[in-house]
Amino acid sequence: MQLTSKQSIASALALASCSLLSQQANAAEPIPANDDWKVDAAIMYYGEQDRVQATEAIGNVQKAFGDTSLLDMKIVVDSLTGASASGAVAQAESQTFTRPSGDGQYTVAAGDTPLDDTFHDTRVQLSANWQEVINQDWTGNIGVYGSKEFDYLSMGINGGLERSFNKNNTTLSLSGAFTNDVVDPVGGRPVAMSEMVFRGNYDNDADYQAAFDQTRLAGDDTKQTSDIMFGVTQIINRNWLMQANYGLSSVSGYMTDPYKILSEVDINGVTQSYRYENRPDSRLKHSVFLLTKGALDSGVVDFSYRYSTDDWEIQSHTLETHYRYNFSPTMYAQLHLRYYQQQAAEFYQPFLMSGDAIPEYASADYRIGDMTAYTIGLKFGQHLSGGHELSYRIEYYQQNPENNGTEIPGQLQNYDLFPSVKAIVAQVSYSF
Amino acid sequence: MSKAPKVMSLQPRPWGFLGSFSAMASPCELLMAVDDEHIARQMLNIAYDEAKRIEHKFSRFIEGNVVWQLNHAQGETTPIDAETVHLFKFAQQCFQLSESAFDISACPLIALWRFDGSHGVPLQTEIDATMLKVGFARIALTDNSVCMPADMSVDFGGIGKEYAVDRTAQTLVNRWPNHSVLVNFGGDIACPIIKSDGWQVGIENPHKLDNAAALLTIRQGALATSGNTRRYIEVDGKRYGHIINPKTGYPIELAPLSVTVLAPNCVMAGMLATMSMLKGPDAEDFLQQQGVDFKVFR
Repeated sequence: MQLTSKQSIASALALASCSLLSQQANAAEPIPANDDWKVDAAIMYYGEQDRVQATEAIGNVQKAFGDTSLLDMKIVVDSLTGASASGAVAQAESQTFTRPSGDGQYTVAAGDTPLDDTFHDTRVQLSANWQEVINQDWTGNIGVYGSKEFDYLSMGINGGLERSFNKNNTTLSLSGAFTNDVVDPVGGRPVAMSEMVFRGNYDNDADYQAAFDQTRLAGDDTKQTSDIMFGVTQIINRNWLMQANYGLSSVSGYMTDPYKILSEVDINGVTQSYRYENRPDSRLKHSVFLLTKGALDSGVVDFSYRYSTDDWEIQSHTLETHYRYNFSPTMYAQLHLRYYQQQAAEFYQPFLMSGDAIPEYASADYRIGDMTAYTIGLKFGQHLSGGHELSYRIEYYQQNPENNGTEIPGQLQNYDLFPSVKAIVAQVSYSF
Repeated sequence: MSKAPKVMSLQPRPWGFLGSFSAMASPCELLMAVDDEHIARQMLNIAYDEAKRIEHKFSRFIEGNVVWQLNHAQGETTPIDAETVHLFKFAQQCFQLSESAFDISACPLIALWRFDGSHGVPLQTEIDATMLKVGFARIALTDNSVCMPADMSVDFGGIGKEYAVDRTAQTLVNRWPNHSVLVNFGGDIACPIIKSDGWQVGIENPHKLDNAAALLTIRQGALATSGNTRRYIEVDGKRYGHIINPKTGYPIELAPLSVTVLAPNCVMAGMLATMSMLKGPDAEDFLQQQGVDFKVFR
């Protein structure tokens, strides 16, 4: 077919423009196209002063299938060693405790906060998540989770849906998760509020073992957790977005810490005996989370607040902020500040008074007591060639347990019953 | 490369990321349907680097670059690199295809018609004198050099931005063939990878600047606009647009206010838009015959 002269302009231009552009493409350096795989690897160290030390290796692989599907798989292996507070109070004399297994004893020096140094474990955690963009407005995800440590097995499933409105300026999300945990403590589960027995009080191993067995329940126990979360994300303007979440979490089953005890003291503060703790077997928790995040000229900043309350009467407030500053397109630094404040569970008490009736529920675990905590962290990131990124993070974390109003009798006044826990977190991450 | 810090912004959006910066005297944007900030940042870096590279290399206003050297060669033969040769050859083809209407050497004529409102229509003697300094046909182009008369000069302004858009789009496609991106440098647009639900692009209403007159959905392709909207003079009630016909030395009469063309690439879209402007009253006819989608405002 004969082209008219005017038609030939478009085809001639198409040809000329292709020749102009294609020569450049040939001249450009070939760059490997491996964008649909993303791998993050990190090594993290967490160390509490004189207490728990953990080393964690984290591997995360993301694989995109087209523009609509994303598979995310994660493995975490961590190793924990060190000592954790048993819940007993310090005394003017050294104290001897039966190990949780019933096999052997350990001694804590006079004046020291009793720490159980048998604590060491290796945990492997695996999770996989599939995200699917269903259409322009809907996105869905499903996932599975499993983790195993010596005395604990956790398996879970989760799923969520997101819906965009208002030209994608508003996103509503609904997600849920269910987890089933199996607890199989070393030495068995202690009988609630039973008294710790000691080898020294028995003539022979058989009598001691029989008495120890009286404090134990046979077999393992389970715990089920159901979570539902509803969220709204709203874009405010070019630079800011807001997010609000409401979460409801219901837990039922075995929530007692089998390795925690309470000291039973007399009016002089002298320990008479130790009892194994007991916690309720259901817990309903509500939480509200608010976040605002903004783009600055050369960085990103966010502020968030979380309020959480439950029927154990633990209430907490968390304020957190991250400020990221880009020194250059390849280097950034991020400051992290977090403040946390918690009100004790209704059954928390730092010790029991001998002579008082034994309560149904009691725990001296400082982690469910009155507490404030703060974190100061700094992270540096560096973008390397080929899309790789190297980052370093260091954080200082301090927990300050507080007295929940309990009157401190006798010699206990000489000791810090609510010692601070100080920890350092260090992490090196590499993404490619 | 410039040592100045890169001034870019990258913002999350529900559909991905929006990158923006300023280059070639225009606001530049990159819309990325990417959920990974890291990839988005790399894409933005590539776009920024390419826009700045082309601006620095081909802007008529930057001292010492290849265009400056050519315009100050005083009749000497100047060696040029392969990319510059290709741009020259493309300009030459456009010159021929437009029957001498599109001419990158027309800048002295454009300078004569100053559209700042302080000057009227130039004298015919001025126009005649200036016409002598214009004419691509007088430029000697080889595969590695350019030679032009001492009083002549060239300006790649009519091609450079579209070229930068296509180059950026191409680099992004080569590297991330599965991520939809819209490259928008001052209204010259390319989206090289099909986006199933398309990108929404507003076309400015020349009667009401900064307002969108039409909303276009682009799934794939390029778009460029040529217009008289912001630069013109009125003398004795007659409006003279800023597009000058190098063959007469006068602004094109009855040219549209603006022409927007959709084409496979941005360079082609831009050239068709410019050529149709140069057709004056026949702009629509010309575009119709090219078999492309277009929007003309008059």
